[in-house]
Amino acid sequence: MPPPFDHDSPTDPIPTPPAAASASALKVQKTRHSVPHGLSLSRSEVSLPYRRSHPSAASLYASTFSPPGSRSQSPVGRRPITSRMTSGSVFGTSLNNALAFASVASDNPGDPLNLILRAFVPHVAVYTSEDTDVLLKEKGFDRGLWELLRPFGERVHGKVIVRDSIGSSRTYEDYSIRFVRFGEGIVHPSQNPAGFKNAPVSKANGFPEKSDDPEKGAAKSGISIADVEAVVDRHLDYAEESFFGTPQSPTDDGLDIDTPSLYYALYLRRLLSGLPIVPHETFAHPVACVVAISSRNEAPIETLRRLYAESSLGDQRLPNWVDAEFLRYYVLVHDEEKDDITRSMSLFDQMKRNLGLHCHLLRIRGTQSAATDDDSIPLPRSEWMSASEELADIRRSDNHEDFEDPTRYIFESDATAIRTFVREMVTQSIIPTMERHVSVWNDQVASRRRGLAGRFAGLTKRWGFGSGSRSSTGPGSGSNYDQNGFYRQDAPEAIMRKLADYAFMLRDWKLAHSTYDLLRSDFNNDKAWKYHAATNEMAALSLLIMPQNLSSKTRAETIDSMLEAAYYSYVTRCSSPYGALRCLSLGLELLRLRGGSSVDDAAKWGTRLIESRITGPIGDALIKERLAVCYASKKGVGTQAWGGRRRKSALWSILGAETWLAQSKFIQAQRCLNGARKTYSDLPSGNGIDKFSLASALMLSIGQQLNQNMEAADRDDDQTTENQSEVVDEESEALDMTRGRRISMHGLSGAGGTNSLETAPLRSQMENSEVEKQDSGEAKDDFG
Amino acid sequence: MSYYFAIVGTQDNPLFEYEFGTSKQGGDGQARFAEQARHMNQFIVHSSLDIIEEVQWGNGQMYLKCVDKFFNNYVSCFLTGGNVKFLLLHQPTNSAGLPGSVASSAASSPSAAAAAAAAVGSRSSTSIGANPTSPQTEEAVRSFMLEVYESWVKTLMSPFYRANMEVRSPVFRQRVAAAGRKYL
Repeated sequence: MPPPFDHDSPTDPIPTPPAAASASALKVQKTRHSVPHGLSLSRSEVSLPYRRSHPSAASLYASTFSPPGSRSQSPVGRRPITSRMTSGSVFGTSLNNALAFASVASDNPGDPLNLILRAFVPHVAVYTSEDTDVLLKEKGFDRGLWELLRPFGERVHGKVIVRDSIGSSRTYEDYSIRFVRFGEGIVHPSQNPAGFKNAPVSKANGFPEKSDDPEKGAAKSGISIADVEAVVDRHLDYAEESFFGTPQSPTDDGLDIDTPSLYYALYLRRLLSGLPIVPHETFAHPVACVVAISSRNEAPIETLRRLYAESSLGDQRLPNWVDAEFLRYYVLVHDEEKDDITRSMSLFDQMKRNLGLHCHLLRIRGTQSAATDDDSIPLPRSEWMSASEELADIRRSDNHEDFEDPTRYIFESDATAIRTFVREMVTQSIIPTMERHVSVWNDQVASRRRGLAGRFAGLTKRWGFGSGSRSSTGPGSGSNYDQNGFYRQDAPEAIMRKLADYAFMLRDWKLAHSTYDLLRSDFNNDKAWKYHAATNEMAALSLLIMPQNLSSKTRAETIDSMLEAAYYSYVTRCSSPYGALRCLSLGLELLRLRGGSSVDDAAKWGTRLIESRITGPIGDALIKERLAVCYASKKGVGTQAWGGRRRKSALWSILGAETWLAQSKFIQAQRCLNGARKTYSDLPSGNGIDKFSLASALMLSIGQQLNQNMEAADRDDDQTTENQSEVVDEESEALDMTRGRRISMHGLSGAGGTNSLETAPLRSQMENSEVEKQDSGEAKDDFG
Repeated sequence: MSYYFAIVGTQDNPLFEYEFGTSKQGGDGQARFAEQARHMNQFIVHSSLDIIEEVQWGNGQMYLKCVDKFFNNYVSCFLTGGNVKFLLLHQPTNSAGLPGSVASSAASSPSAAAAAAAAVGSRSSTSIGANPTSPQTEEAVRSFMLEVYESWVKTLMSPFYRANMEVRSPVFRQRVAAAGRKYL
């Protein structure tokens, strides 16, 4: 086996364990693999109607599901408890700070700030030649190089140094980029102009067009809230079905302030992943494009030129509101097993001579790796796949009996090579290019608008000299806003927006905010409402992320008005509920993190979100739950905890429980209810809400309904185990008669006989679990 | 316009509860809370104790005005010397004269406020009922609170009354009802 090809391994020692993509994802995978084979082999057959007979599908739910027994091993549990909450700002408006921000964000994958930082990252398009696709297909990646690279972009290994606009450099450990397929996910502005729209999204480079290609849906309309909801719903259902077979109810924990619930984190993540390419924000516009050929190519340089031409001129080119001057990064994929390295090296030298320094030789092995190979590691599933894509995966697993485990394996040497490649590309090409763009645009475009003269210039241009044609917004009246609903890529507004987004992606919040702030009024004047909304949103977010204290006055004046403008424009003027949901939920999270009186503001926006009814039922319940956490994170002072919001938090927990219960999500409902109980019992008065007759009656009734449902499930389960212990050797017809709920899966799982045989050795375990169940049943009774 | 009036003791325990409707503009004085959501009033009032505990230290007055809002429900508070809180929850009706935001919030409130609002229809319109945070409403609520306070103090003077005991006196209930009719 050839050693990995590492350019800079002395300076950058790469550990053998796959730390790249994210350690936690791998952890999850390990637990996941233990699930189907160990503990719940029989159980997954018994209790999972969706799963039928393929436990491998459990990997689809790995992001939220961990076996109940190993709760503490789940990724969130490992995080040391950091107290981020500043003490209450109630008595005096102290401590409204954001200092905790920078330090906390990095390690917890579900942390909202971390999510935001990792959602708005540079997008790198991947555009490959046909021979590369063939090579990757042989390696087991049907969707090409992109599929192989994607997980590695989610965590760039090692430190990434970014220099901001005033020249000070900062180091980030958790930088990430997103690999996307070139030309995918383009959403054109609604009034569709005739010119460019017919650029076909189909793949000209050798992909077979699959009919169920998940990205297709996303490309049409951007992210749909319904898809996000559906994904979370499937995860919830999966957990629901899995937990009902299990001995103890995993719902003992009340509110956890520091880590959001897995489902909420998933909701946010799906909301933010797969950002489409739209005119009004440039986060998803490619910052760079990986142009790849393989060592099998007969005419490499010509192919590269052709790919370049296609990506900038041909059918594949991006619409004219996307800056076409992004970086091209040329990659030569070398097959270690079939091709001659000396030939590839000389070709690579030739590439460097012809195409400049943005080149890389990626050495991977051309064969597929199996799980049983010594040096194979599982390729982590992408955390940031779009909702529609994940939904498609889940649906496929439902529909096909022979659904195979989607986990791919790669050789460790490949992983090392790709990690090196990604790191080198980011640190040596992408970041410097972005920095250069930022400084150039800042000097040439943005600085003209800053200062007094710039403002006057803007005004005179805007108002014209006596032309009086201010009302028309077409081109020619001094506005660059195209009637078709976008700015061309070379308009100063578009460039400034790009500047601000680049600054945001480089985490230069100050520059980003000031640029967004300039743009707000421009877009308002041009009545470019979608731009206006997006800019207001990002202005508010960048201001909130900035680690500096905000007085409650500025908060009320700036942030509230920006969020309000964004919300209003998104909902009323553009009817884009997705934007409003994203804007308000992120605003809520960032305000909440600031602690103190910002928490009230956060809750206000959360209430607004619920009021607006733009979310579906799942989102509704999740946000209610989140509001409970949000209020709970405001701590009071003194022994009486004056200024806390515990009663509010409990109220929202109850509302959340009610909503979950209505959707038959009993585990979530129980969690909320327990949270409310705990909060109420911690109140200094000791009465909680008990003295209010109607309210406490409601709590009781929720608890009773839950108990009934849980017990019904448990009873089902008891019967299952009893029956199974009696009829180990019989056919499963007896089972079918006795139980309503689980019959379907038994019938569907087919081999009833093998089923009972499989469960037989586990009977003792089941009986133990029964005892535990009864215990938990008793414990549950004192809810009522 | 429906009102829910609660007197809450020092241990978060309700001492007195009373629901009534407006008597202005031809209202019949009946509360029109949705039957299945009446518990929400108690939850809301209870949760606004959080806000009151914060506001009471920043304000020298006993009457704290409107302290909290939960969707379409507004809570006004009056604080007595013994740390007993008078809480008045008012729920404006969803009448045609209201701005759109209130109307939509009523429609989307989970407490089924819409049902209650629809029952009353467009009868009440301006003045107290329509805008819970207007100065007129604040004044009306203040007068109501003061009158209740007077009766409250008289009730407390009963030699059989101990702190945080529930008040069951029919006379007191009558007086609260009368004050409600008079001012709200």
